Amino acid sequence: MEATRSPMIHQPRTLNELSLLFQRIENPLLWAGGTHLMSKSDFYPSPPNRQIIDLAEIEELKRISRTDRYVDIGSMVTTSSLLSAGKLVLPSILKSALGSIVNHITRRQITIGGAVCEPESRMAFSTALAVLDAQAEIRRWEEGRFASAWIPVNRLYDKNGSLLLRDAPFVLTKIRLGLEWGDFQRFVLIDNPIRKPDTAILVAFQATRNQTALTKVRFSASFPRKAFYISPELENQLSLLNLPIHPDRVNTISYEMVHDLMNRHESITEFQAERTRRVFESFLHELNIQTLS
Amino acid sequence: MKLECTIDSKSLTLHVNSTKPLSLMLIEDVGVKSMLSHCQGNACGNCIVLVNDVAVLSCIVPAFRLKDAKIRTFETFHRTRLCRDIERAYRTSGNKPCPDCYASKTLLIESILIELMSSTRSREEGMVDEKAIMQELSLNTCPCMDVTELLEITIQAFEYRRRRRGSN
Repeated sequence: MEATRSPMIHQPRTLNELSLLFQRIENPLLWAGGTHLMSKSDFYPSPPNRQIIDLAEIEELKRISRTDRYVDIGSMVTTSSLLSAGKLVLPSILKSALGSIVNHITRRQITIGGAVCEPESRMAFSTALAVLDAQAEIRRWEEGRFASAWIPVNRLYDKNGSLLLRDAPFVLTKIRLGLEWGDFQRFVLIDNPIRKPDTAILVAFQATRNQTALTKVRFSASFPRKAFYISPELENQLSLLNLPIHPDRVNTISYEMVHDLMNRHESITEFQAERTRRVFESFLHELNIQTLS
Repeated sequence: MKLECTIDSKSLTLHVNSTKPLSLMLIEDVGVKSMLSHCQGNACGNCIVLVNDVAVLSCIVPAFRLKDAKIRTFETFHRTRLCRDIERAYRTSGNKPCPDCYASKTLLIESILIELMSSTRSREEGMVDEKAIMQELSLNTCPCMDVTELLEITIQAFEYRRRRRGSN
């Protein structure tokens, strides 16, 4: 009896086959690694009329390629295989972010596309991509065909960290990273974001040091199921600074950041805000130490 | 859907919902006694099994991803020589996991041993990254044992495994 109520599973092997399935099926559920979907309490049993497209067989989505200017990461690349891709392909901040995912068993199942397109909450991968100015290739299903566009990862989410692209069906095919990475990159995860969402924070920071000047500063912070924080104003303010930054100035900037953070995201606890401030402050102090040593 | 797979060396044809989690399949359709809980993907770490010799959390693997898969649960794993390395390490340390998580922690340690044995540096020189192992071990949330105790057991089991492989 159970089998007759099963959702139908489609397993295309190419993007063309996927396109044909989109023509036939209205509002399909796309399946990448499945870790998010399977952890929803109401997922099983799934409604039998929902048709699922499993992306696991599409080889095009499993490739990692590097040119002189950028790295393309297919959306079905698992975090585990991306981690083993090596330093030439992966900036250290991304390596730290992927390594922070609890364990190897889960890393083997989580895909890059699944992590970026998880609808409700931003975790390690999206937080790190936000400071790397990564772009996502999105293929929207519009008027019976796929229309492709490159969208900065930052703009895929609203301020709560929810995915914005919900107006039309779409497929994320790859993530593109430029190869001009800053020489100071840090990623910090405190507490398990799944088990302790009320205390966990994820913070990413990237900057380039040009002699004593700080340039191209990028900062992002995620709070599971609550907020996704980026502030171009703060980044601009930091990008004008000369190193070393006076300790009073570090203090002032970090409190300004927290003030801005709390104003924009009321759901963040004071504990999370203070944690974020201290981590942020530690980055600036570390930059000072490296400049002076 | 009709699913053909091998579970604990038995070839089975199961009629299951295509999105049914493997952990539920093992409990409801196969009657695996070592599988005690289904946490619905909340990462309790108590449902580890080996699929094609790779450790997975069975609560987040759907039936449709298991076509022709070889699934091994603790029920057959505990009869293998591989399991003896780990049980010997339990005896040496004088400590072992509680009955609720014994199967899962043992398979978790086995998955770490598989990783260590696949690394040439670890296999030949016995080098291990303790921090990484502790991170792996934290997957199982049962508080019956301290993670440092489990780390000791894992390193000991790794030594036994290396010696046995070396003598083969």
